[in-house]
Amino acid sequence: MTTYATDYIKPELMACCGSREIKDNDLVIVGTGFPTMSANIAKHHHAPNAIMMQESGVIDAQPGRTALSVGDPCLNPGAAMIGGLVEIMGMFLQAGHVDVGFLSGSQVDKYGNINTTVIGDYENPTSRLPGSGGANPIGSMARKTLIIALHDKRRLAEKVDFITTPGYLDGPGAREKWGLPANTGPEVLITNKAVLRFDPETCEAYLASFHPGHTADEIVEATPWDLKVAADVHETEPPTVEEIRIIREVLDPARMISVYEKKGYV
Amino acid sequence: MNKVMTAKEAISKHVSSGDFLFIGGYICRSPFSAIHEIIRQGIKDLTITRSNAADDFDMLIGAGCVKRFIATFLSLGVYGLGRCYRRSLEKGIPHKVEVEEYSNLSLPMMLLAGAMGMPFVPVKDMLGTDLLNVRSFMGENKYKMIDSPFDDTPTLLVPALNPDVGIIHVQQADESGNAQIWGIGGDCQYGANASKKIIVFCERLVSRETIGKDPSRTIVPSPKVVAVVEEPFGAHPGYTPGFYDTDFGYGYLYQQASNSEEGFQDFLKEWVYDIEDRTAYTQHYIQKLGYEAFKKLQAEFDYGFPVSYAY
Repeated sequence: MTTYATDYIKPELMACCGSREIKDNDLVIVGTGFPTMSANIAKHHHAPNAIMMQESGVIDAQPGRTALSVGDPCLNPGAAMIGGLVEIMGMFLQAGHVDVGFLSGSQVDKYGNINTTVIGDYENPTSRLPGSGGANPIGSMARKTLIIALHDKRRLAEKVDFITTPGYLDGPGAREKWGLPANTGPEVLITNKAVLRFDPETCEAYLASFHPGHTADEIVEATPWDLKVAADVHETEPPTVEEIRIIREVLDPARMISVYEKKGYV
Repeated sequence: MNKVMTAKEAISKHVSSGDFLFIGGYICRSPFSAIHEIIRQGIKDLTITRSNAADDFDMLIGAGCVKRFIATFLSLGVYGLGRCYRRSLEKGIPHKVEVEEYSNLSLPMMLLAGAMGMPFVPVKDMLGTDLLNVRSFMGENKYKMIDSPFDDTPTLLVPALNPDVGIIHVQQADESGNAQIWGIGGDCQYGANASKKIIVFCERLVSRETIGKDPSRTIVPSPKVVAVVEEPFGAHPGYTPGFYDTDFGYGYLYQQASNSEEGFQDFLKEWVYDIEDRTAYTQHYIQKLGYEAFKKLQAEFDYGFPVSYAY
């Protein structure tokens, strides 16, 4: 029988939600933070043969400390292969071999479109953000895209200010019309309050499960579009004792994941 | 042919205001020594490109050297948004840089096309997004959509890039410019080889014989190299595998300084304008932050089996 942890923090729960989306033998493109943590939990828990890659050029890194960027020095020693962007983004992602991409968004809308370019008007920005980097190609071509975001009316939007990375664009059929590869797109939007999934008919994100301590009503209220609720909406499965053990004993003894609490993931 | 010279000579001889520069690196092997020299020499109106730009591009923009940026991304990593980049685009300080937006697939492929002598290259990203709705100085030539002549599917074409000068920092090179790297590549190899001429900064100058002991590591062979600069610690505060680690403490100093325009100018004065060259920079680093801090950055050694190419 599965025993659940009781003393976890929200970022640990979110990392476990991500981990559960990764299957054995998946090829996963990861960024830093949640994506790496999720993929590593999966590797130690149920997907030992999943292989991680960083867009900078690294395949199957064996970092001895927590990587703070996708170009981090600790990704070099022990990797299975190191090339560059053309190898990862071209030879693996564009060629159709990446199963899971994992992105976070400054702003995410109901179709899973992500904005990391600009808040406000593009020409006269209120806030200029970094830009696409690898996010656009990952969201375009990974079979499943997992998205992490904060759950409030500023970070979630009916429509993002700028579509940097495609979710389902403006709805059903849009990815196909643009020629994006078949059977790709956002799979799940993991927030600090809930897990949202995407309706195959409407392409809209709906409430699949609410995290322990939250309610469906509260989440509908905190979402800036008319959030549909799954008929079988339920509480998100908490981290198991084993998942928490993997996080704290194996992956992150320094508890670096707790910095996400300061960033609002509570 | 011996192309070894100082950073000052290499930049003054081969980089001019108005040039289009590819500047390699990906936190790994950022050619910071070259960046500082460009700023010191007051070179202006540059067009710069690289996938995943960081503090080095932020600094060039803040110093007023840049007119145009063929971009995919710019941030300070764990230290957040690029302060100078934001001031430029949000407030026009020191002026508003013109930005052409691509992604970390399309831009590397444009450099690959440039390196291969192809006029353009089809890519499968950016489709359906606002990256196709904004055009800057490249105008209609930012991209073209066609129906594929092979199967009629909509196909996005992006143009090849051929920068005037490619500037890279590598672990080792010989005096003629055969340049070798190990570790994370980013878009360094294709960006350099797409360029009309290449300046190689290296941690150590080695013999042609040493290059020949492991020639598969060479990413840039000598023909297009116009200058070789031996510059130990030249990628600091970025890192060079096998030599030194990323300097997160210095990254924090840069973030704090660049929070304000005045702080940024003071930082430039201290670390760039009042510094003669990389040797003086390293001395200043040790005097200011201590030898322990410097020593702590130095890489440990963990050698693998040596390779043999003998038959």
